[in-house]
Amino acid sequence: MIFRTAGQYKTSYEADQALFPVKQDFYLVLGILLLGYVVFPLTASEFTFKALLVPVLIYALAALGLNILTGYCGQLSLGTGAFMGVGAYATYKLMTIVPEMNIFAAIFLSGFFSAAVGVAFGLPSLRIKGFYLAIATLAAQFFLVWLFEKWAWLYNYNASGAIEVATSSVFGITVTGPTALPIVQYYCVLIVVTLVTWVAINLTRGRYGRMWKATRDMDIAAELVGIKLMTAKLTAFAVSSYIVGVAGGLLVFFWKGAAEPNLFDIPLSFQILFIAIIGGLGSILGNFLGAILIVALPVILNLIPSTLGIPVDSATLEHLNVMIVGALIIAFLILEPHGLARFYAIIREKFILWPFPY
Amino acid sequence: MNALATDMATEPDAAAETASREELLRVDNVSLSFGGVKAITDISFDILKGEIRAIIGPNGAGKTSMLNVINGFYHPQQGTITWQGKERRKIKPHEAVSQGIARTFQNVALFKGMSTLDNIMAGRATAMKANIFFQMFWYGPAMREEIEHRKKVEDIIDFLEIQAIRRTPVGKLPYGLQKRVELARALAMEPDLLLLDEPMAGMNLEEKEDMSRFILDVNQEFGTTIALIEHDMGVVMDLSDRVVVLDYGKKIADGTPEEVQGNQDVIDAYLGVAH
Ligand SMILES: Nc1ncnc2c1ncn2[C@@H]1O[C@H](COP(=O)(O)OP(=O)(O)OP(=O)(O)O)[C@@H](O)[C@H]1O
Ligand SMILES: [Mg+2]
Repeated sequence: MIFRTAGQYKTSYEADQALFPVKQDFYLVLGILLLGYVVFPLTASEFTFKALLVPVLIYALAALGLNILTGYCGQLSLGTGAFMGVGAYATYKLMTIVPEMNIFAAIFLSGFFSAAVGVAFGLPSLRIKGFYLAIATLAAQFFLVWLFEKWAWLYNYNASGAIEVATSSVFGITVTGPTALPIVQYYCVLIVVTLVTWVAINLTRGRYGRMWKATRDMDIAAELVGIKLMTAKLTAFAVSSYIVGVAGGLLVFFWKGAAEPNLFDIPLSFQILFIAIIGGLGSILGNFLGAILIVALPVILNLIPSTLGIPVDSATLEHLNVMIVGALIIAFLILEPHGLARFYAIIREKFILWPFPY
Repeated sequence: MNALATDMATEPDAAAETASREELLRVDNVSLSFGGVKAITDISFDILKGEIRAIIGPNGAGKTSMLNVINGFYHPQQGTITWQGKERRKIKPHEAVSQGIARTFQNVALFKGMSTLDNIMAGRATAMKANIFFQMFWYGPAMREEIEHRKKVEDIIDFLEIQAIRRTPVGKLPYGLQKRVELARALAMEPDLLLLDEPMAGMNLEEKEDMSRFILDVNQEFGTTIALIEHDMGVVMDLSDRVVVLDYGKKIADGTPEEVQGNQDVIDAYLGVAH
């Protein structure tokens, strides 16, 4: 694909503010949507859906939520996993209380619960910043997981302490539970992720996006140009936690099928944070690139020994995975804080200017 | 005799002109201290509608602190501020913006990761109201509002001749242009009173000339009242209608540039005569 912006003059601000002012970007996105909605479903195996496509989408969505808060608004959170948990438990409770409810309605509603909890734990951000705020969100992380364990009502007093997804259907098609087809679940996740991503793009390019970025870049100046820091920070917490909560609902209902409280513990929070960092803070696309890398890496590592015929035990592969991810994070933090998304931006820029680099 | 009278009527002197102007802002007996440090001591002066009012003085005289008091960033321990004829209660900076007071900063305070366009659009934060639900779907009021404000911002971009850097992240711009973008952001707030804290610091002659021209144009075309802190005396003499001089937090002179220039206290302050 060759980018050409020359000759594409905007005659109105409407046109300039269209979602993809550069035509080639539009074709690129169209291509990705085509891949996601047509090509993958036609070609992917059950394993690919379960081990690659669905997790990439769900992790990317969670990272997108975190990115709104951390990448756009500059407020570091270490509690993403727990907020995903709030979304998952809220969906679970909604589906128990009203079993005939549409699962999509339940997931989108449950986002409001995680948003409310996010705002509550975001209140300290009005007073504290940086490291101290990160610690406050870590406290939220511990507290919420503790709550998932101790508050038996949340898991319907199951002896196992875990939540299990019941079978439910939409328009007569089974979408959740053990009998749901992976391809159906994939489509469900894809539709939700597409919708939420589109909304996130709209929010970040408009008034709220500017408020968030201004707060991130220089909060005092933001205040002095008339931005209310309280509004900026709390809306970022709300929108971010909403998206993270929706991702949590998807995680349990369309992928895992069951969850124990420790699923939402710190490792999940860090995994999402790593995706956001490697993908690129302050970018939408980056979350998807980061998720592809983080999800695909262990899968590929697992395939290497069998294809090459080298016997490596799975524990070693696990360690190898952790080491590579760790090295990548350090490399990105030092060399390219804007992550994979910046690589894409650079390539795109090169194509726009090609073949005259000046 | 008759001819002389008409002459005088058509060419009123500068003093008479200022005297006829309405008062926009007045500070009375304002004192501000940080712990033991007295930044401002018992200062009173006024700013008239439509004038360019310079605030000058040696380093640490309290000029920036004065602007911070005016836009509600600092709250003086003593004294009152009268804005458009009414005594003002304690306000927050964002309230000052909605009341019509905008400013630029001594050290450029732009949003480094955002484009020039976004920085200036951010200046319209208080004017934009569209609901988050419309924003989410980029629909109806949200889209109309975005376009309406974009038009105003484009006018400012044309006015300050920064079309070419519209999409550039401001962190990548040279210092002189950053100062200009900061002025653009302040203008986007459509202020009645524009506070400029050393808008030409660190600029070369050509950039200073451009900036002077913009300041005069803003004042004359939009009728914006301007309070200007500047160290370059040439600029101050050229641009300002009246000058207030601060030294060690106290007001030592107030008047037209010529009056102030000849004032012995001012000469002493600048030459560093022992107090
Ligand atoms: N936030 C603050 N905390 C403590 N002291 C302050 C603060 N702001 C200003 N001061 C002190 O108040 C005095 C006046 O400072 P101010 O910045 O207003 O001076 P200025 O006239 O703008 O100087 P310059 O020309 O160097 O910008 C200085 O002694 C300064 O150290
Ligand atoms: Mg100063």
